Amino acid sequence: MHLFLEYTILGLVTGAVYGIAASGLVLTYTTSGIFNFAQGAIAMLAAFTYWQFRYGWNWPAPLALFLVIVVLAPLLGAVLYGGIMRGLRETADVTKIVVTIGVMLGLIALAQWIWNPTVARTDDLFFGNAAKFQVLGVYVTDHEAIALGCGVLIAVGIRFLFTSTRTGVAMRAVVDNRALLEFNGGRPERLAAFSWAIGGALAALAGILITPISGGTLDVHVLTLLVLDSIAAAMFGRLRSIWRTFAGALVLGLAGNYVLAYFPTSWSWASDFRIALPMIVLFIVLWVLPQDRLRGTTLLRTRERFTVPTMGSAVTWGVILVLVVLALEQIMGTNDMSALSIGMTYAIIALSLTLLTGYAGEINLAPVSFGAIATIIVFHLGLSGTGLNQRITPLGLLLGVVVTALVGGLIALPALRLRGLYLALATLAFGVFVSDMIIADISPHVLPIFHVHFSIFTNGTLDIPPPKLGPIDLRSTKTFLTTAVCIFVLVGIGLVALRRSSYGRRLTAMKDSPAAAATLGQNLVKLKLSVFMLSAAIAGLGGVLLSAASVSVSNTTFIIFVSLALVMLTVVGGIGNVAGALIGGILAGTGFEALTTTFQNLSLGHGGGGLWNVMANLALVTPALIGVSLGRSPSGAVPDIVANYRPLWGVKPVLAAGVMAETVAYLLVLTKVMGNWWLALATAIIALALPVVGKAVRPDAFRSVPVAVPNARGQPTPVVAVGSAKAVEGGANARP
Amino acid sequence: MPVLEVSRISMAFGGVHVLSEVSLSVTAGGVTGLIGPNGAGKTTLFNVVSGLLEPRSGQVMIDGHDVTGAGPAARARRGVARTYQRLELFTSLSVRDNIRVAGEIRNTWERRGRIDVATETDRTIEMVGLGDVAEREVSTLPTARARVVEVARALMIQPKVLLLDEPASGQTEEETAAFGQLLRKLVDERGLAICLVEHDVNLVMGSCELIYVLDYGEIIASGPPEQVRRDPTVVNAYLGAP
Repeated sequence: MHLFLEYTILGLVTGAVYGIAASGLVLTYTTSGIFNFAQGAIAMLAAFTYWQFRYGWNWPAPLALFLVIVVLAPLLGAVLYGGIMRGLRETADVTKIVVTIGVMLGLIALAQWIWNPTVARTDDLFFGNAAKFQVLGVYVTDHEAIALGCGVLIAVGIRFLFTSTRTGVAMRAVVDNRALLEFNGGRPERLAAFSWAIGGALAALAGILITPISGGTLDVHVLTLLVLDSIAAAMFGRLRSIWRTFAGALVLGLAGNYVLAYFPTSWSWASDFRIALPMIVLFIVLWVLPQDRLRGTTLLRTRERFTVPTMGSAVTWGVILVLVVLALEQIMGTNDMSALSIGMTYAIIALSLTLLTGYAGEINLAPVSFGAIATIIVFHLGLSGTGLNQRITPLGLLLGVVVTALVGGLIALPALRLRGLYLALATLAFGVFVSDMIIADISPHVLPIFHVHFSIFTNGTLDIPPPKLGPIDLRSTKTFLTTAVCIFVLVGIGLVALRRSSYGRRLTAMKDSPAAAATLGQNLVKLKLSVFMLSAAIAGLGGVLLSAASVSVSNTTFIIFVSLALVMLTVVGGIGNVAGALIGGILAGTGFEALTTTFQNLSLGHGGGGLWNVMANLALVTPALIGVSLGRSPSGAVPDIVANYRPLWGVKPVLAAGVMAETVAYLLVLTKVMGNWWLALATAIIALALPVVGKAVRPDAFRSVPVAVPNARGQPTPVVAVGSAKAVEGGANARP
Repeated sequence: MPVLEVSRISMAFGGVHVLSEVSLSVTAGGVTGLIGPNGAGKTTLFNVVSGLLEPRSGQVMIDGHDVTGAGPAARARRGVARTYQRLELFTSLSVRDNIRVAGEIRNTWERRGRIDVATETDRTIEMVGLGDVAEREVSTLPTARARVVEVARALMIQPKVLLLDEPASGQTEEETAAFGQLLRKLVDERGLAICLVEHDVNLVMGSCELIYVLDYGEIIASGPPEQVRRDPTVVNAYLGAP
C-alpha cells in the first residue's frame, strides 16, 4: 500500500507536468492550426536558461523563474509565431510540420552550442531535497506539491479562459472560421500570437518542473523528448479538450510510475518500456480515435507546386548524375567516397518521402527508423559467410525490405483513417519507440518455450557487412558508391514513372482533394496503405544500404532526430521532386556533417575555439534555419533552381562555355594540377556565374521565367481567381 | 422507379437543425431541381447523400440499395457522382488528367465493365466542350469552366445519378444555355438521373421536370416548375414576386 501510494503521488506529479506541456500544445494548435513539434525543445531551452540563471550565475530562484517563465519563454513563443508561423497559412500540412521541426532542431543545436554537452549540469528540487512533508505516511517534496498545484491551476485556468472569457471563445473560433472572426472584428493574428506566448510559458514551466523530478540532469535530447511525450496526452483530448488532455496526462504519469513500481527488475526491457510508454499510448489513442470526417479542402489552396518531369528528362538526368559521380570517383579519396556513399543512401531513404509526401501528401516522420527495422532483419536473417567474407545476401535484402513494408502497413493502418497530422504523429511514435525499445534492447533474453537466446540489438552496435548482389560485390568503397548512385537513379526513375501512371494520378487526386477522390469511388485507406507500404519498403532498402555504408550502426544512427533532420532537409530540397530527395539526402548524410567536421578540425588546428568553432556551430544550426525558411518558399529549392537555370537553354553558347570551363577544371584536378577544393570552388563560381552571364548575353531569354514555372514562389496567378471566387461564395452562404 | 430516394433525413450541427425530415426522390431520365435560399441545407443534403456527412436519422437508397451507413466510395460504386459548389478539383493535374483519373479510379472498382479511359476521356471532353483548355493546368481556369471540369469528371465514373451543386454559377447566359442542353442530352441519351442545385431560375425552370424547394432545412414545396413558380410559400421564401 505504501509503495502504491508513493508511486501514485509520483505519477500524479509527472502527469501534472505532462498536462502543463500538453495544454500548451492544445492552445497553440487550436488558435493557429499549427502543431508545435518544438514544444519539447522550448521546454528544454527554458530548463537550460533557468539553470544558467539559478546555478550558473547564482541568481535568486524567484527572479530566475520570473525571467524564464514570464518574460523570455512567452517572448520566444510570440516571436516564433510572428516571425515564422504566421507565414505558414495556405501551406500544406507537411510544410507546417517541417517548419516546427526545423525550430526544434534549431533550438537543440543552439542549446548544444551555448551549453557544451560534455559538461554535466544538474537542477535541484525547489527548496532543496529536505523540503518535504508527509501525506498518509508518504513523503512528498515541496517541489512535487508545487508541480501538482501548478497543474491544477493551469487546467482550471485554461478551461476558464476557453469557456468564460471573450478572448478564449474567440481563440477557439480562429481555426473554425477565420474569415468570420475577422468579419466580426476579431483579431486572429493577435490571438494566435498571444496563445503562442502562453504556450511558450507553459512549455518553460513544464521543462523547469520536470528536470529535477526526472533525475536533475540536463540533457538536450532527453529533455526535448520528455516533453514531446506530452503529445500523447494532448491526443487524449483530440487536441481540443483541456479536461481530457489533463486526464490523459495523469493516466500517462500514473502508468509510467506503476510500471516502475511493479514490473520485476529481472525484465531487462522494463525500463525501456517505461520510457517508450507514452509513445505506445499515443499509438493506442490513435487507434481508438473515431474516424475523421472528410472535409473539403476548404477555402485554402496550398501554395506548393510541383511539375512532373517527362520520362525522357528523368532518364537523361539520371544518366548525368551517374556520370558525374563516376567522374568524381576518379578524384576522390576513400574517406570522401564513403561519406558521399552515406549521403547517397540517405538520398534513397529520402526517395521514400518523395513518394509518400510529395506524391501522396501523407507524412512519415521516421523514415530512418524503417531503415533500422530492415537493418535488424538483415542482420539477423540476411547474412552469409563470416569475418571479412561476410556479406548481405540479395534474398536477405529482399526479406528486410518486405518485412519493413509489412511493419509500415501495420504502423500506418490505425492512422490512415485520420488526417495527415495523425499519421505523422503515429510515425513519430514509432520512431521514438524504435530508438527507445527496439534498439535499446541490447542484453540477451531467453525466449520462453523455445529457450532461444536472442537480443535485437546485440551489445548496442551491429556490424553490417556490405551486400553482394549477384556478381556485384560492394566491398570496395568505389563499387559501393557507384551501386548506391545507380540504385538511387533507378528508384528515382521508377518513381517518376509511377507518378506518370494511373496509380500516380490517383495518388495526386487523393492528395489534392480526398473528398472528391472518395466520391469518385476511390478507397482512400487502401490507397494510402499501399503507398505507405511501398514507401516503407524504399526506406528499408535505403536503410540497409545506409547501415552497410556506415559499417557499424548504433542507437545514435537511428535516433529520431536523424529522421527529423532528413525529413526537413528533403522538404527544403523539394519534396515533390526526385532531385529534392538527392539534395536532402546529401545534405543530411554528407553535407553538414562534412562542413561541421571541417570547421571543427580547423578549430582544433588553430588551438581550439575561435572563429572556426563558431562556424562549426553555425553549420549545425544552419539546417534548422533553412527549414524555417520554408514558409517563404514551401515548394523547396528545386523549383527555384529550375526557374533560375532553365532559361540557359535559350543561350546555348553560354551553357556550352560553362560546361567547358567545368570540364577543364575537372581535368586539372584529375591530372593533379589542382586539389579537390579548387574543383568545388570552381564549380560554385561557374554555377553562380552562369545565370548572370546568360542574363547579360540574352536578357530576353530570362524574361520568360515566371511563365516557365508558374507558382514556383506562390505568386498570385489565376489560382487565386478560383480561390477568391470561392471565398465570395463562402461569404454569401451566410443567411441574409 | 427512383434511382435516388432520400427519406426523412435529419441533420444538426451542434444544436442547430440543418435538415429536418427531408424526403425526396430522383428518377432516371429526368432532371430534378433542388432550390432554396443560401443556407437552406442543399449542400448539406448533397453531403449526406454522397456519404461525406452522416445524418442524425433517415435513410438513403441508391438504385434500390440502402446505403445509409456506407462511406462515400461505396456510394460512388452504387452509382452516385457529384460536383462541388466550392470546387474540389485536383489542382496539380491538367484538365485532361482531372477527367482521366476519374475513369482510372472507376476501373479499379468496376472490373467487369472496364472502360477504355483514353477514348472515354476524349469523348467526355468533347461532349462538355472543354477541348480548347484540355491541356491546361486546371488551377488556371476561370471558375465557370472549372465547374464544367467537375461535371465531366463526375460523368467518367458512369453514374446512375448525378448531383450537381450550382454547376452554372459564374457562367454567361450563352454558357448557361449550352449547359442546359448538355443536361438534356445526358438525361435523354444516357437515361441519367440528375439532381440540380442552382440559383439560375431560368436554367432550373427550363430543365427540371420536378422541383423541390428547401428552406430552413425543410421541404416547403415540391412539384412541376409551373406549380412551384406560383406557390405563394416559395415566392415568399425564395423566388420573390415575379
